[in-house]
Amino acid sequence: MSVTPATARPPGVWALRFASMTSFLGRLIRRPEGFVGVAIIVFFAVLAIAPALFVGPLETVTSASGKRLEPPSSTHLLGTDNLGRDVLNLTVHGARISMLIGFLATIVTLVIGAVLGIVSGFVGGRTDTVIMRITDFFLVLPTFVLALIIAPIVLDIIGTGEILGIRTTLFVIVIVIGITSWATTARIIRSQTMSVKERAFIDRARVIGSGPWRMMRVHILPNVTGLIVANAVLIFAGAILTETTLAFIGLGDPFAPSWGQILGASQDAGAPGLGAWWWYVPPGICIVLVVLAFTLIGGALDDLLNPKARRRR
Amino acid sequence: MGSRYLLRRIFHAILTIAGIVVLNFILFRAMPGSPERLSHNPNQSAAARADLRARWGLDQPLIPDQFIRYVSTTLQGDFGQSYKYKGQDVTAVIANRVWPTVILFGLGELIAIAVGLVLGAYSGWKRGGVVDYAGNGVSLILYSMPYFLLGMILLVIFATALGWFPTAGMFTLGETYSSFADQLLDFVHHLILPLAAVSLGLIGQYSILMRSSIIETRSEDYVTTARAKGINESRVLRNHAVPNALLPTVSLIGINLGFIIAGAITVEVVFSWPGLGTLTQEALEARDYPVLQAIFLILAVTVVVANLVADLVYARLDPRVRT
Repeated sequence: MSVTPATARPPGVWALRFASMTSFLGRLIRRPEGFVGVAIIVFFAVLAIAPALFVGPLETVTSASGKRLEPPSSTHLLGTDNLGRDVLNLTVHGARISMLIGFLATIVTLVIGAVLGIVSGFVGGRTDTVIMRITDFFLVLPTFVLALIIAPIVLDIIGTGEILGIRTTLFVIVIVIGITSWATTARIIRSQTMSVKERAFIDRARVIGSGPWRMMRVHILPNVTGLIVANAVLIFAGAILTETTLAFIGLGDPFAPSWGQILGASQDAGAPGLGAWWWYVPPGICIVLVVLAFTLIGGALDDLLNPKARRRR
Repeated sequence: MGSRYLLRRIFHAILTIAGIVVLNFILFRAMPGSPERLSHNPNQSAAARADLRARWGLDQPLIPDQFIRYVSTTLQGDFGQSYKYKGQDVTAVIANRVWPTVILFGLGELIAIAVGLVLGAYSGWKRGGVVDYAGNGVSLILYSMPYFLLGMILLVIFATALGWFPTAGMFTLGETYSSFADQLLDFVHHLILPLAAVSLGLIGQYSILMRSSIIETRSEDYVTTARAKGINESRVLRNHAVPNALLPTVSLIGINLGFIIAGAITVEVVFSWPGLGTLTQEALEARDYPVLQAIFLILAVTVVVANLVADLVYARLDPRVRT
């Protein structure tokens, strides 16, 4: 494919895929819950891409703009935290960290899950048995607790620093979420792969001499992509929740505050006992909205992709 | 029940637990630093250090000697000593923390299952009704909310602002009780808010699952038959639809245990409830690895056993899976 992309595929295949994708997206946002979900995600994606545009640079201990624990007022719409930082500022910047970790963790999860699922389903035999044993193991394991234990170990080994301008602590969280949550994806992709494998075009590809890797890449992958995307929505929601919980109990990065990190800091400072609800309710609402949005999109996708569910409406 | 099915399930569970033990061993060895640094003595001589290593068996090869030793001590319930609570056995540290967690989450699960299933069954049956819309909306929001956030909100409203409940702990500090009843009352007073957070957090999941399960069974032929026979609606729901719709929830209860642990840890932190959750957070802060490892092992084995039980119950209820 890298040599002559123009002849490797029939011309216009990407245009076709793009067209079908946009029409699918159109059908998705015509459903009320799909529309609400997509609107919320777009809103937070915009915040995540350019937080400084809306609230200026991230406030730190030295650049805090208010006094400590000010309740909401006209100067600080959502009040301030115990260091005098504006909560609105923190929350909007938190969108960037939370969404970024959620996005990257989803990609890591999907790559591991899809590769193992496709290989397991396509190759079959002993490979399948081994991969599925490991998958079952990870399915039963309380993965959150595993993440809890792996995260500090990896953090202590790697230490702090930056990779590609992103702090390593965030990468550790991403990787830990990835290696602890791929199992359901692998299961789903495997069963779809096994059904695609039985179709006639796979036999044809084999007859003309395609190798297994090429068949998996060119013939199986495009046919399970829809499922991967549908799964991504749920994985994203789960990743946001896992990150929030990990950060809440102290595995976040205080210098790159995610929503969970803000919640954790407010808990550590005893905000609920002090009545400083403005400190943790805004990031909390953001988390609920994002997870809710993904759940709504997931439901809408399920209705669109699953004819049985559609009939029940 | 087919005994072959039973045996295979149990065999798988044992394999999984063996896997967890191996994983635990590997993780323990992967952690940074070396155990003999624990003595924190820079003036320690090389001979003393070697002596320490020999005493702890660290001079022996990792596999098989250290591994065998690890497995045998673990089987005896000996997880070593806590870093944070100097000189205390991990087993003793954990033992004190188990029952508050069991009470809080055992009760929370029971309440959530009862309320969630009833709510889900009713809203699925009266699909599109007021209860369905309200219940579904609330369930979705509860489902999307981290347990601890719910706890923090309940805490600020009912403990800080209204002052109806205490903000932290399991008993009032420094209180002496005149009778056991007084002590129990104080305990219940402290329990209510965290219990509410746990059960509310779980209700969403059970109600959503039960609702879709009921909707699925509602269109089954046997429900139509029951209706055609003239059986009244509430009996069709109770005797025909609900028993069949309950099946998926049985496996959810088993699977859920793994996920509610995350909730357990955080809710306890919010209310300073002295259970395994707060212990986990303390151990994380102090990087108390022996305690963390033991907690992981205990929780993982509990989840595996719970899944096994759920599978067996499922097989008992639904003969189709016994193959």
